[in-house]
Amino acid sequence: MIGNDIVDLALARKESNWKRNRFLDKIFTVKEQLLIADNENPEIMIWNLWSRKEAAYKIYNRETGIRGYFPLQLECSYENEISGSVSIKGNTYFTKTIISNAFVHTIAVVKKENFDAIKKINSNETVSKANGIPFIIDKQTKIIKPVSISHHGRFWEGITLID
Amino acid sequence: MNKEQTIKELKNIVKPYIQNQEAFDALTEDTDFINDLKINSANLVDIILDIEEKYDIVIDNEAMERMVNVKSALEIIETKLSEKNQ
Repeated sequence: MIGNDIVDLALARKESNWKRNRFLDKIFTVKEQLLIADNENPEIMIWNLWSRKEAAYKIYNRETGIRGYFPLQLECSYENEISGSVSIKGNTYFTKTIISNAFVHTIAVVKKENFDAIKKINSNETVSKANGIPFIIDKQTKIIKPVSISHHGRFWEGITLID
Repeated sequence: MNKEQTIKELKNIVKPYIQNQEAFDALTEDTDFINDLKINSANLVDIILDIEEKYDIVIDNEAMERMVNVKSALEIIETKLSEKNQ
């Protein structure tokens, strides 16, 4: 299982006012808020941690069938700007984040070695859904492959795992 | 609490964050904030804060977990308001 999440920074600036009273309290743990406060660019740290939580939630949701809004339960363990993990109720998912001037994109996986098996998919591929989980059918092998798709503002990212 | 009235108020609260006008126009109790209204998950927190401010209630983490559709939002508002008035 995989999950991904992309944040268009320009759109996030327009859509979200993270300086709003109690905004951060509702979605970030005390530890995460310290990381944000200590960072020279708090805005990037906010979307970095947020995209990790969202990418990890996608796996958690697909593995357990649990749906809801519980960002505080998805706890980020921050190694550095790129790497880390997110834990929820005894499950840990590993994350890798790419940051540019325009976006923040995180991929979450169940096993670290899966990072080597990530394949991007094109936005013109036919993506279907079964039980809320998006999948594609591999053209050559005809095998059903789960995918994760994230779309925000100007950006679209779809990923799958190579066998 | 008048449900019709609360749905109307809730519609006003979610309006700035919706990305599917059709689903918004046809909003019912079964409307899902994310799947139907296509609200960005980072904006769900704004909706929660807006509801807290509008009704002067606190939506705790437990309630927040369920805050994914109109029905739950109405239930949460009703419960928190009745707790407040006790």
